[in-house]
Amino acid sequence: MNRTIIININSIVFHIEEDAYDTLRSYMIDIKKHFGNTAESKEILEDIENRIAEMFNERIQTGRKEVINLEDVQRVITQMGQVSDFEESEGTAVNEDFRHEQRTGQAPHVEYVGKKLMRDPDDKMLGGVCSGLARYFGIEPIWIRILLVLFFLLGGSGVLAYIILWIVMPIAETRADKMAMRGEEPNLQNFKKSFDEEAKNLSETFSDTGERHDRGSRTAGNLLSGCLGLIGKMIAWIMLIFAGLNLLGLFIFYVFNMMNFFGLENPMFFPPLKGLATNDGIIALTFGFLAIAIPFFALFFWLTRILFKTDKLNSYLSLTMFAAWIVSIVGIIYYCIATAQDFREKSTINVQKNIQRQEVYYFDEKDIRVLDASEQDSLQSKFNIQLDGQDLRNYLHSDINIYFESIDSLSQPYIQYSYSAKGKTYQLASERAHNIAYEAIQEGSTFLFPSHFLLMKNTLDRDQQVRVTVYLPKGARVVLQRSIEPKIRDISYWECLNNYPEAAQQKYTDWTMSGAGLVCVQKPQPVPEEEEEEEEAVKSKMKALLEEIKDKKDSIIRIDGSDVTIEVKDNSVRINTKKQEEN
Amino acid sequence: MIAENTQTQMRKGILEYCILSIISRGEIYASDIIAELKKAQLLVVEGTLYPLLTRLKNNGLLSYTWKESSSGPPRKYYQITTEGRTVLSRLDVTWKELVFAVETSLQGRND
Repeated sequence: MNRTIIININSIVFHIEEDAYDTLRSYMIDIKKHFGNTAESKEILEDIENRIAEMFNERIQTGRKEVINLEDVQRVITQMGQVSDFEESEGTAVNEDFRHEQRTGQAPHVEYVGKKLMRDPDDKMLGGVCSGLARYFGIEPIWIRILLVLFFLLGGSGVLAYIILWIVMPIAETRADKMAMRGEEPNLQNFKKSFDEEAKNLSETFSDTGERHDRGSRTAGNLLSGCLGLIGKMIAWIMLIFAGLNLLGLFIFYVFNMMNFFGLENPMFFPPLKGLATNDGIIALTFGFLAIAIPFFALFFWLTRILFKTDKLNSYLSLTMFAAWIVSIVGIIYYCIATAQDFREKSTINVQKNIQRQEVYYFDEKDIRVLDASEQDSLQSKFNIQLDGQDLRNYLHSDINIYFESIDSLSQPYIQYSYSAKGKTYQLASERAHNIAYEAIQEGSTFLFPSHFLLMKNTLDRDQQVRVTVYLPKGARVVLQRSIEPKIRDISYWECLNNYPEAAQQKYTDWTMSGAGLVCVQKPQPVPEEEEEEEEAVKSKMKALLEEIKDKKDSIIRIDGSDVTIEVKDNSVRINTKKQEEN
Repeated sequence: MIAENTQTQMRKGILEYCILSIISRGEIYASDIIAELKKAQLLVVEGTLYPLLTRLKNNGLLSYTWKESSSGPPRKYYQITTEGRTVLSRLDVTWKELVFAVETSLQGRND
């Protein structure tokens, strides 16, 4: 007794035995595989099916034999020919190798050029990026993974690359995707093959259910991965919050810095931006923002995708972001180099200003940040005109050095100002040096040096310096106010100041111009305090000695370095000094 | 490998020529073509024939008509087209040339 199956070939119904059906089915699958890649395959298959139906029909004798058995099927196959027979007669030079491979089954994947870079969901550790890359380059995924770990160890760049690739690379979800990823032509035959392989894998997975050991280890694996999943989730949450806060912070930083450029002054100003012109600054700031924010955004988005299983970013958008990131990095490098280049040449402009001869020259500092109402007409208005009413704060520079030099006692005293600045070219540097506004102001016999100099016409900050040299005739008396001290070079102001009895309260120092420069007028004060200290030291020493000899009898102690001896005799102490002995 | 390839190529060319000339004799059913080819020891299995017929048909050398069969499904009967006839006559010439060429080159070897 045999079970029969009812089949339908070209709308003719046949009863066929089970084993015969299996054979027929696998034969038809073979044939379909064989013809699968030609355009006319459908027609050929139809012809063959038709012919098989006809042959079956011939073998059926109503009443005596109504079921197709294995023998019939084998006969039909012999007559129709095996797939290998077809190949022999059809084989052409072009596809010979292909057929050969197929027959031996050694190279099951037919490679063709149009591979697609996609993530492989069937062979993944995290996102299938490595296996996808490996597929693309036709190597084992393990090498890509090792490479990635190496990159991770070398500064962590691997993580960023991985995340970006994860976002950029689409996942190979459908069978067609997977075949495109493997570089197979998406034809019927390959489809069938892919499907069969999958089915085979599946059946293999199911077939070993009998092995308890294997099962047990799998559950343990599940448990482990569950635990890891929980920890991973927590880490992901922490990272998500971290990335989110960073993004927020960056955004605030960006907005406030931008406001500075557009005239809304606020204290949040990134110092390096000072070195750039407004237009460049805006671009550089945007580049900087993107360069840092995009990776954080990618991390943020990636984490939300993991945690909330949201859709992945549109690949055009992610590619655009990636491109923007690269551009930003390049832009930042450009600005760094360009700005550094702008410090290459140095230019100095010297200006001499004669000053009146006078007996005593007073020098003081004028803190231009402090403005008196009474000075509105002079100082403040001057700066206001030069700065077009803009806030002084960002235009003030204090790199000012003052030197004093002697000239012949009969010569005309003068002040020399050296304005220097840096630039990409000498021309640019000298232009910038020219835009430094700094000059002493004379009020009676006092010369007031402003505390800061100004850069006019929105000149960029390029290491501008002002060196002031005051040439005074020998013998001239000079009074230096204490406030000017930080700007004075070459002479020791504090040493001179300490010569005064009340140094802390002393507001000025007196100097005379000698051939070798300024000399402090005030002579050092006698120092009585030092002797007092010495006496104190001797006293304490004696005390210690007495303590030492308290319990001793009949001994003489010489104190080192002095001519004092201490004699202890019969409960009495005698202290002798040489003087006394001499006396 | 090369020998095999050459044989296949030679046989393939001849096969199409033979099929065309068999069909040129009149309307014929695929399994009858096979019978003829088997007799000529050119083709052993039927399966091989169908792709060839389909290709020749798609190139416009053959056409077919469906005919009711006493047993089983309707059958495809093939006939040659006028284009097929021109190709066949050209192949006839080529074949004669080939026979001449091969015989000429074989002559020296026969002794």
